Amino acid sequence: MSLEIESMVRYASPINPAVFPHLTLLLLGIGIFFTAWFFVYEVTSTKLSRDLFKELLLSLVAALFSGFGILFLLLWVGIYV
Amino acid sequence: MPATAVAKPENGRNKGIFHNTAGFSTLITVTVLSLAWLAGFASRLFAVIRFESIIHEFDPWFNYRSTAYMVQHGFYNFLNWFDERAWYPLGRIVGGTVYPGLMITSGTIHWILHALNIPIHIRDICVFLAPVFSGLTAIATYLLTSEIWSRGAGLFAACFIAIVPGYSSRSVAGSYDNEGIAIFALQFTYYLWLKSVKSGSIFWSICTALSYFYMVSAWGGYVFIINLIPLHVFVLLVMGRFSQRLFVSYTVFYIIGLLLSMQIPFVGFQPIRTSEHMAASGVFALLMAVGALKYLHSLNPKGQWKQLLIVGGFLAAVAVFLVVVLLTYMGVIAPWSGRFYSLWDTAYAKIHIPIIASVSEHQPTTWSSFFFDLHVLVCTFPVGLWYCIKNINDERVFVALYALSAVYFAGVMVRLMLTLTPVVCVLAGIAFSILLDLVLREDEMCPPPVESEESKSLYDKAGKLKKRPHETPNGASEAGLGMNVRSGTLIAFMILLMLFSVHCTWATSNAYSSPSIVLASYGNDGSRRILDDFREAYGWLSQNTAEDARIMSWWDYGYQIAGMGNRTTLVDNNTWNNSHIALVGKAMASNESAAYSIMTALDVDYVLVIFGGAIGYSGDDINKFIWMVRIAEGEHPKDIHEADYFTERGEYRVDSEASKTMLNCLMYKLSYYRYDSGGSPPGYDRTRGALPGNRGFKLTYLEEAYTTEHWLVRIYRVKKPDEFNRPRLPVAKRTISTTNSVSKKLAIGPGTTTSKRRKGLLKNKPTVVKGKKVARLE
Amino acid sequence: MACTSANVVKCHCQKKWSSVTMPAMAKIQFCFTFILFIAINCASVNVDNISSDVKFKNVDRTIDLSSQLVKISQKITLENSGKSPVKSFLVAVEASSKNNLAYIGAKDSSGKDLRVSETTVKGHDSAKFWRVDLKDALNAGSTVVVTSETVFTKALQPYPTAITQQEDQLVKYTGNLYVYSPYQVTSQKTNVVVVTKGIESFSKVKPFSQQDGAIQYGPYPNVAPFTEKELSVHYKNNSPFLTVTRIERLIEVSHWGNIAIEELIEVEHTGAKLKGPFSRYDYQQDLHSGPASVRSYKTLLPASASDVYYRDTNGNISTSNMKVKKDSVELDLRPRYPLFGGWKTHYTLGYNVPSYEYLYHSGNEYLLKMRVIDHIFDDMQVDELTTKIILPEGSVGIKLNVPYPVTRLADSLHYTYLDTKGRPVITFKKSNVVENHIQDFQLRYTFPRLLMFQEPLLVVGFLYALFLLVIIYVRLDFSIHKAEHQHKD
Repeated sequence: MSLEIESMVRYASPINPAVFPHLTLLLLGIGIFFTAWFFVYEVTSTKLSRDLFKELLLSLVAALFSGFGILFLLLWVGIYV
Repeated sequence: MPATAVAKPENGRNKGIFHNTAGFSTLITVTVLSLAWLAGFASRLFAVIRFESIIHEFDPWFNYRSTAYMVQHGFYNFLNWFDERAWYPLGRIVGGTVYPGLMITSGTIHWILHALNIPIHIRDICVFLAPVFSGLTAIATYLLTSEIWSRGAGLFAACFIAIVPGYSSRSVAGSYDNEGIAIFALQFTYYLWLKSVKSGSIFWSICTALSYFYMVSAWGGYVFIINLIPLHVFVLLVMGRFSQRLFVSYTVFYIIGLLLSMQIPFVGFQPIRTSEHMAASGVFALLMAVGALKYLHSLNPKGQWKQLLIVGGFLAAVAVFLVVVLLTYMGVIAPWSGRFYSLWDTAYAKIHIPIIASVSEHQPTTWSSFFFDLHVLVCTFPVGLWYCIKNINDERVFVALYALSAVYFAGVMVRLMLTLTPVVCVLAGIAFSILLDLVLREDEMCPPPVESEESKSLYDKAGKLKKRPHETPNGASEAGLGMNVRSGTLIAFMILLMLFSVHCTWATSNAYSSPSIVLASYGNDGSRRILDDFREAYGWLSQNTAEDARIMSWWDYGYQIAGMGNRTTLVDNNTWNNSHIALVGKAMASNESAAYSIMTALDVDYVLVIFGGAIGYSGDDINKFIWMVRIAEGEHPKDIHEADYFTERGEYRVDSEASKTMLNCLMYKLSYYRYDSGGSPPGYDRTRGALPGNRGFKLTYLEEAYTTEHWLVRIYRVKKPDEFNRPRLPVAKRTISTTNSVSKKLAIGPGTTTSKRRKGLLKNKPTVVKGKKVARLE
Repeated sequence: MACTSANVVKCHCQKKWSSVTMPAMAKIQFCFTFILFIAINCASVNVDNISSDVKFKNVDRTIDLSSQLVKISQKITLENSGKSPVKSFLVAVEASSKNNLAYIGAKDSSGKDLRVSETTVKGHDSAKFWRVDLKDALNAGSTVVVTSETVFTKALQPYPTAITQQEDQLVKYTGNLYVYSPYQVTSQKTNVVVVTKGIESFSKVKPFSQQDGAIQYGPYPNVAPFTEKELSVHYKNNSPFLTVTRIERLIEVSHWGNIAIEELIEVEHTGAKLKGPFSRYDYQQDLHSGPASVRSYKTLLPASASDVYYRDTNGNISTSNMKVKKDSVELDLRPRYPLFGGWKTHYTLGYNVPSYEYLYHSGNEYLLKMRVIDHIFDDMQVDELTTKIILPEGSVGIKLNVPYPVTRLADSLHYTYLDTKGRPVITFKKSNVVENHIQDFQLRYTFPRLLMFQEPLLVVGFLYALFLLVIIYVRLDFSIHKAEHQHKD
């Protein structure tokens, strides 16, 4: 069952470590932008003008980008999760 | 995190100077505060970047050691921790003699992070705790200033406190000390207090009491709060500003705060037993009396009640005062402690408590350090203060009192500069906010009264400080309000602020970011050389001495030896036992044989001295030595005389001119033993710029155990009685001790005799010694 | 410290690796120590007989005493004087030094490793035996040349046991003048290499000759089997006598392309103890002061090592240099203080290597091929080695192959950043390790690639939960006063 070492290929990171900084900045930037948008929306909108769908969507986008941004930030600074 | 915390209060508030929507101003507020946090955090990282993530200086090492102990053994074991590694042979009950707030804070953070599987070492949490809390301080300052003046002023204040050197001096990364979190607790307590005075709500008062509890657990400076808030209440009473809100907020705060503060083991019953806390209870009683009179007044609001109120209040105040004085005389209430006295009488410590006076941070503040720590803020905060007094209300009374008392204390002790800094930031924030408000406001918004205030304030400023004469014409001609004047003022202030931030960064980086256990020297070509002698020595101690070895050193290094070397010390930076320290000082100041008898009495295995002569390090033991002599003389006036260590002309020297006592004392010998390297003549002392007067001597009772690469730390082993280099005598003669050992006994004679007679601490052979002494005197 | 249990110290089996399947999760439930010596190929203790056909025609023995280790290499010319072909022969180690033995190996004339397995011989219980399997059976009457190599630790005794700072370190070697062999040795020569002129004394059994730095004994003709005669050499040896008393090697594999290695090392100078004071003045005066002390040593790391750190509990040890060479990274490690006899130090050394150097895969099957222990300093001796391998969260089907027998400890879990159920940790131990043990282990495991998304999604989920909290919070109304709230708005 077990394969011999000759038939295996060397394993490298799925994403080149050289682009970790760029990915971090890009993803975190977008994430922070959406987070800010979300909070501004939460503060400005009143009970009547609030739209749950928009809130959920904004927060989801913000969470997605920030989450991946944070992951790459960790990888960038040397915390290989 | 800050977003939710900050956005909340703003929702309830009216719009300040911002004419934009709530959302926009919230965004700006949040952004500015997070940037302030970031800037404050970043500017405190110089030491980490230049050196490494390491605990600095002296006290932080103890805090770190106890935090690590708490994390390892749990909170209750920490409270019951008896540290037998300190103050040998006395030991120290750490749990009962420490403010545990700092350890609990970082322990909690550690616990939360580890519950989330974030394995950050407790050392890194300790190192970065103070920079993180500086961000919280900025937010607390923002809240406080918003309560007093406006949100714009709050943002200014937050930015100031984030980077001002007066605060970052105690909160750089690695400076893991109580002050790092206490300033946040202080500011936050004051904010909550103002909030509760304003609203009169029990909720806010209880919050104040909780925050006060945190402060009590964190720093001995809580005494400042428990005196300032009663002072505020008292002044409000005197000003006739009594209100139900004040009554509710103070009574609730006092009772709950009192009960909570007594839960800290170190504080215990002090809040009801010591004079430092009596102002609070006195004001509490007074407030009750005034409240009762007011109530009576409300029953019948006519007639002479007004006078009665004043007289009654006055009588109540006198009665409270007399009761406190009486109780103090009866001994129920402890009188003020020496440390507290030294706040009123700056010469007190110098005369009575040399150990307090010997610490450099207890010296009175110089003018230059005011400017160095606060820069432009020290010039602008009177403006803010003036505005607060001009537009007085309950909260502004508080900030005025805060400012005045803090200025006084900061003048008395360098260390208390720390309590002045936050209020200076608040008031300078207010001043800058007013100025910018004035300059940036459109024409139609310029009300005449503001104009006059502005010019007056600038008069005031110009009279006091000559630093910026060019500012006065700008400000004074504000009445004319030309476009040029405005932009000129604006630019001038922008430049000032810029200079301020440059100065802050420079001061933090150059003056306050040295770990002091790692030294760096710079070569001619700019290359950096790290002098790691302290850790070299402590590492050697921890690995190559017996587990229970007892190290004698001056108290400055006690915490470091315990923290890095993990060995038992005799005295450390918790200077609670003056006579023990004096004994160590006496050993250092005596000659070798006298010192040996003290050291054997104290079971000393190793002696550690700091010697900077080889590299020109000025903070070494020879330079501190005169304080050891003074402290020793305080306890042993018959054996140690300060004058013996000076030359006849009263100079403190180490070269051949030095006094005989100096040249033969243990500290001198341990510092210069076999010291023949260094400057161009071998054995040249680069710190003192002199050639040591006593050289080539041998040690009888000690041997060099280790000396670090740059001679900075020297460790000696105390020999056991069977290893002395006794004078070479034939074996046959050695047994006949009576005739042959005269010379040796003569050498030992004076030291043992005197110490025996003085204290009875050393128990060896009193009769023999006594007889010898008589013989010697004859 | 040599292993006393005959089963634990095993020969070095190059071809067939002892392998055991460990379902990691199941093993954690039962906390027992799992010992790996039940290897497939040498499942039970062997018993061999001494063949009378075999003879050692000639033995050239070199005893290298120049470092703190005793390295004995024997060039054996083997002769089959019997009738039938011989497939294997025995080598023996005398009872007095068998506990010091750290490594034994054998090579044929072309430099290929031969299989060596431990065995016993009836009637010779005190000595230790190894059976060397020849590649091709040795026909009757023919000869073959085999080189055996043995390394002994702690075989050199400092004598005197304590010296002052300025004195040279003298050590004493006590061994066997003759080759200790179960067979008749027709002719033998011994060359003792000490690389020093300072030989105080040595056994003088003719014929012998002494040149600078070496002593030659022999040839001695026709020595009977199991002959022992004391050979002792008392000489100056100032080479570093450093013992790694404990090393814990942590290998953390991340599928984001990195393998982090951290070694916790405790070192002690096990030469002659320092007697009397240490004088910095003398030590600084000339560089030859403290000849027996160790100021620094060199550690070789893999060439791809990056982010190297060298610290102890008090922080960085700032006295070190790093040199990047073509095939390695050379660290010049200076302990905080020079190490004299009896002095100890401890430190942590860590670095990262990219995963493509050591990790192979085919689909979801992964294979980690790394060194059990890496170079610490030349001629190192390690008392106790613990190697821990931390695999990514969710790895299953873990199989470990080791080049020589080790004691495998119970698997455990390790929690670090963004972990939920913990990462499997494979731990094994070995004592008495020397440089010859720097060999690769192989670790196979299965890791579903999709699990890599678990970590970022965890962060995303956490953030989203926070946002949801805010969304809910703004819809709540905590005020008791309805009217006042509206007023505020």
